Amino acid sequence: MLKTLLDAFALISTWEVIIAMFAASVYGLVIGSLPGLSATMATALLVPVTFYLSPIAAIATIVAASSMAIFSGDIPGALLRIPGTPASAAYADEAYAMTRKGQAELALGAGVWFSAIGGIAGVLSLMILAPPLAEIALSFSTYEYFWLALLGLMCATLVARSSPVKAIAGMFLGLLVSCIGIENPGGVPRFTFGLTDLFGGIEPIPALVGVFAVAQVMRAMLTPEPPPLPRRKFGSIMAGQWKLTKQYHWQMTRGNIVGIIIGVLPGAGADMAAWVSYAMSKRFSKEPEKFGTGHVEGLVEAGASNNASIASGWVPSLLFGIPGDTIAAIAIGVLYMKGLNPGPTLFTEKASSMYAIYLMFIIANIMMIPLGIVMIRVAAYILLAPRSTVMPIIMLCCAVGSFAIGNNMFGVVTVAAFGVIGYVMEANGYPVAAMVLGIVMGTMVEQAFVTSLIKSDGSILPFFERPVAAILAAMAIGALLWPVMVWAWRKVKPAQTAAAASR
Amino acid sequence: MRLPDSVTGSFLVALGAAAAYGGWILPPVPGQPVGPNVFPLVIGSGLALCGVAIVFGIGHSFEEEEELIPLEDGQAAAPPPQGRLESKLYGLRALLPPALLLFYVLAADRLGFIITAAIMVYVTSTALGAKWKLALPLAALSPFAIHLIFGKLLRVPLPAGLLPTPW
Repeated sequence: MLKTLLDAFALISTWEVIIAMFAASVYGLVIGSLPGLSATMATALLVPVTFYLSPIAAIATIVAASSMAIFSGDIPGALLRIPGTPASAAYADEAYAMTRKGQAELALGAGVWFSAIGGIAGVLSLMILAPPLAEIALSFSTYEYFWLALLGLMCATLVARSSPVKAIAGMFLGLLVSCIGIENPGGVPRFTFGLTDLFGGIEPIPALVGVFAVAQVMRAMLTPEPPPLPRRKFGSIMAGQWKLTKQYHWQMTRGNIVGIIIGVLPGAGADMAAWVSYAMSKRFSKEPEKFGTGHVEGLVEAGASNNASIASGWVPSLLFGIPGDTIAAIAIGVLYMKGLNPGPTLFTEKASSMYAIYLMFIIANIMMIPLGIVMIRVAAYILLAPRSTVMPIIMLCCAVGSFAIGNNMFGVVTVAAFGVIGYVMEANGYPVAAMVLGIVMGTMVEQAFVTSLIKSDGSILPFFERPVAAILAAMAIGALLWPVMVWAWRKVKPAQTAAAASR
Repeated sequence: MRLPDSVTGSFLVALGAAAAYGGWILPPVPGQPVGPNVFPLVIGSGLALCGVAIVFGIGHSFEEEEELIPLEDGQAAAPPPQGRLESKLYGLRALLPPALLLFYVLAADRLGFIITAAIMVYVTSTALGAKWKLALPLAALSPFAIHLIFGKLLRVPLPAGLLPTPW
C-alpha cells in the first residue's frame, strides 16, 4: 500500500506531468468561462494533444481540464447570468441575483471553495468505492457484463431531461454507429458500403468532437453574441467561506453525496447533479422563499454536487469501461489508447497508476482554489474576446485534432458529419449524450451479448440464472419500464382528481 | 431546424428498417449460430419501434420541461430576420462550419495547411460578425500558431502545399 503510494508519487512528480497539469488547468479555466464552450468540449479538444504525452500526463490533462472547466462555468453565470457550461445553468440565476445584491465575491468564492471540496469528496468516493467493486467485478461473466452495460445505457436514457423514447432512440442510433466496420463477431465488413475508410469503424473521439464542438459552432452561427462583461473591482473572494461551510455543512455534505451518486450513474453528469442538488436544496431548505433572490444556500449545495460528480464518474469508467458521464466517455478512449484498458484487473495490475489518478484529482482540486481566484479576477479581460475570434480557432482545432487522431482526412469528414447529426438531434429534443454513450459502449455491448448467446446456445434462461446477473437484469428491466409506469401514473392521476371533483 | 416529430420519427423507422435488413442479409459465419447479423437486427428493430412511438407522440409529455432550460441565455431571443425567404437563408448559416470542414478535407492537400486554415478562419470569423480589421489579422496569425503547436510541437504531419512554414 505504502509502496504503491510512493510509486504513484514518483509517477506524477515528473516535469511533464506538472507542466501538463498546469497548462490543462489554465486551458480548462478559460474554455469553461467562455459561454457556449462546455467542459466536455474542452476535454474532447484535448484528446489529440494527449496522444503525444505519456499515459499519466495524458490523464492528468483530462483530470485537470475537466475539474477546472466545471468550476469556471460559474463565473459568467454569476456575472452575466449566462452559464459558461451547462453544469452551471441550474444556479446561474441565483448567482446573478447575488451579484446584483453586491455579493459577487461571496457567490464566486462559494463557487471555488465548494467546487474544490466537492471535487475532493468525489475522489474519496472513487478511492473507497472502486477497489471493493473491483473485487466483485472479477467474478463477472459475460451475462453480468451484458446486463450491466444495458443498465448503463438505460440510466443514460432515464436521466436525460427529454422524452425517454427519444433518448432510447438516440441510444440505438449510437449503437448502430458502433456496428459499422469489421470489428464484429464474424469479422465481416458490416455497413461499410464498400468504403475502406469505414472498415475500421467510426472512431468515438472524432464523433464526440463533432457532436460537442462543431455542433456548438453551428449553434453560435444562429444565436446573438453574449453581452460583454462589465469590469468590476472584486473584494476578498475567500472571505466568509469558512463561515458558510460551518453554517451549511449539512447542505454541502448532501450535495457531495448526491453528486457522487449521480456521477456513478452512467450518462448522468455534472449538469444533472447540479439540477438535482439545487432542487433538493430548495425542497429541504428552512427558508425556501429566499431562493431565486440571491440566496447562497443553493449555490453551496449545487456547487458541491457538480464537482463531486466529475471524480465519481470515473468509478464505472475504470471498473467496467462504462462511462459515468460524457467527460468520462472521452477519458475511456484515452485510457484504451494508453494501454490502461478499463477493467477490474486495472486495480491489481496497475495499482500505482490508479493511485496516481487519485492524487492528480486531489492536486487539481487544491490547485483550483488559487487558480480559480486569479481566474475570477482576470475573467473580465478573457470574456472581452469576442465569439468571432474564439469560434474560428475552435474550428481549426477540430479540423487539425481530428486529423491527428489517425493522420487521416476521414477523421475530419467524421467530425463534420457528427457536427450536423449532433446539431439536428439537439434541435429536435434527442439527447446527444445517449448517442455518445451508445457509440462508446456499442462494441462492448455486442460482444457481451453475442458471446452470452453463443454460450447459452441461443437460450435466454442463462441470462437470469446467476444471482448477480438476475439482480442486474431486474434493475435494467425496471429502468426500461419506469417511463411507462410514470406515464401510466400521470394518466391515472388526472382521472382520479377529475372523478373526485365531480363527486 | 426544429422538425415535426412525425418527420424525425419516420426517418428513424426507415433507418431502423434499413439497418435490420442490412443485418439480415449479412452472410452467416459457418459453425457459429449467432453471428454479426444478430446485433444490427435487434438495434434496427428497436430503432424502428422508437420511431413509430415518436410518430404517435408517445413520451412527448416528458419534453415540456426542456423548454425551461436555457442553455445559453438569449437563445430563445434569436434575431428575427425579415421575410420568410431571408429567415430560411439565415437558418442555412448553421451549415457553414461543416461545409468549411469538408472544404478543408478537399483543399488542404493542394493548398497546404496555412492557406486553407486562413480561409476557414476568415470565413467563420466574418460569418460571426467580425469586421475585416479583426478577421484579417486573425486569419493571418492563427494558422501559424496552430501549426506551431500541432505541426512542430506534436509532430502532426500537416500538409505543406503551396506555402510551407518557415520552420
